[in-house]
Amino acid sequence: MKGARQATVVGVGYSSVHREIGVDTRPLVVDACLGALHDAGLTTSQIDAVFEYPGAGSQIAVNVQRLLGIPDLRAFGDLGGSGPSGLAAAMAAVAAVESGVCDVALVFRSVNREWGQQSGRTEVPPAGNAAQFTLPYGDFGGIIPSIGMKKYRRLAELGGSEEDYGHITLNARQWSAMYERGVLTQPLTMDDYLSSRFIAEPLRLLDCDYPVTGACAAIITTAERARDLAGAAVTVDSVAFGTGSRPDWTFSDDFVFGGTIGCAQHLWATSSVTPAEVDVAELYDGFTHITISWVEALGLCGIGEFGDWVDGGKRIGPGGALPLNTNGGQLASGRLHGLSFLTEAVQQLRGDCGPRQVPGARVAVVANAHGPQCGAMVLTRT
Amino acid sequence: MSKPVPIPDAASAFFWEGAARGELLVQMCADCESFQYPPTVVCEKCQSRDVRPVRVSGRGTLYALTVMHQAFLPIFAEDLPFTIALVDLDDAPGARLLTNIVDAAPAGLAAGDPLEVVFEPRGDYALPQFRPARSQPERGGAE
Ligand SMILES: [Zn+2]
Repeated sequence: MKGARQATVVGVGYSSVHREIGVDTRPLVVDACLGALHDAGLTTSQIDAVFEYPGAGSQIAVNVQRLLGIPDLRAFGDLGGSGPSGLAAAMAAVAAVESGVCDVALVFRSVNREWGQQSGRTEVPPAGNAAQFTLPYGDFGGIIPSIGMKKYRRLAELGGSEEDYGHITLNARQWSAMYERGVLTQPLTMDDYLSSRFIAEPLRLLDCDYPVTGACAAIITTAERARDLAGAAVTVDSVAFGTGSRPDWTFSDDFVFGGTIGCAQHLWATSSVTPAEVDVAELYDGFTHITISWVEALGLCGIGEFGDWVDGGKRIGPGGALPLNTNGGQLASGRLHGLSFLTEAVQQLRGDCGPRQVPGARVAVVANAHGPQCGAMVLTRT
Repeated sequence: MSKPVPIPDAASAFFWEGAARGELLVQMCADCESFQYPPTVVCEKCQSRDVRPVRVSGRGTLYALTVMHQAFLPIFAEDLPFTIALVDLDDAPGARLLTNIVDAAPAGLAAGDPLEVVFEPRGDYALPQFRPARSQPERGGAE
């Protein structure tokens, strides 16, 4: 037992999200951080740590410290590039809070649309280092060709159908329609999905999330401190990273699942609950393949059984047995890059979700990324 | 503007120089006999520094492919749609190459199909690429 230092999430905050190019993320990250502080009933001077996941459009931790006028920090970090997306910042905060390095950690992710935009480059980057084995073959566009091949291999090796993938996308639109921050809120049919254009066949446009500019934030502190705060606290029950063996997006040993399976095993091994007790799942959907991998890796169904399990989408939709990505995820509410899965899980466990609330939700599982960059968390509310 | 030319490093020079001669070489560990790709500075299985280039037949098996319908670099736009694939080398278990599939419609291919290497000149080097196997595998002399 972690006792009084048990990490809890006591506040979440969001900025507005934008589709246009060239939006300054600084006011947005300030909005998200002040929103999380307000939600927690804290002031900026009570923050003693800042963690974030960097990338284009991001602001590093100490820049945000300065914008918020936080006098000093006992811990900070920019955990970027190779970790579990925005969740990495929260995972670092949990470790720092539970270890006693700091008491009240602000975590955020700010991202701009340009960063999610892989096309439109005109200069040819040098094909050296790791790129010498990929770029000369036209393997460019972030991890898109790799994800196309993962979908291909999954369908070849485990069976199932393209409709399995489509259910992730259709589900996102069902939930985003009930979310005040939803971005793509028009319902989709399976025909819409199956007729969306190929990017890296069999990967379709509607398998990919929706780049936006925006920010979200959360406050993580000890159970002891949380007791003094007005709002409801959510317990961080377990945390796990995962890489898989020979970690790489392309040349890994487990190409289809990456590090998700090992990450999930570590997660449940240190959790007080089991997969069967999960009430709501918030699983990364930068690409639909990633979400399906996590559903199976986490043991919510068996490996290769997603297509039957999802039951035409009924299981994961509103009123289903296992609501999934209840804010529309990144597919329908914009690519805030990982941290928004945590903030939505916290809101669900607090019962703050209005029309999209999962009744009686007490256990949530959150997962980010895929390949060599996996991270996951179990959250509980007693 | 031309397509990207590989920039070899000390660990990979043998691979690209071999390809320029029309030979496919991969690293094999002299100590534990593991094959690996991409080439690197140690054996990733046993950490031996004694990793050596070994010439392989160029026969392989399709592991996965993707047909690119969008060129993320404009220099590849004229090739659309083109096929990127992962190919397991038949005589170097553990070595899986990222490559292109040429001389074949991807719709006619399936995971597990036999392939063979061909070389596309690129700058001072050549890219190992794969097409559906035409030649029969040679009988091994040792068995
Ligand atoms: Zn070895």
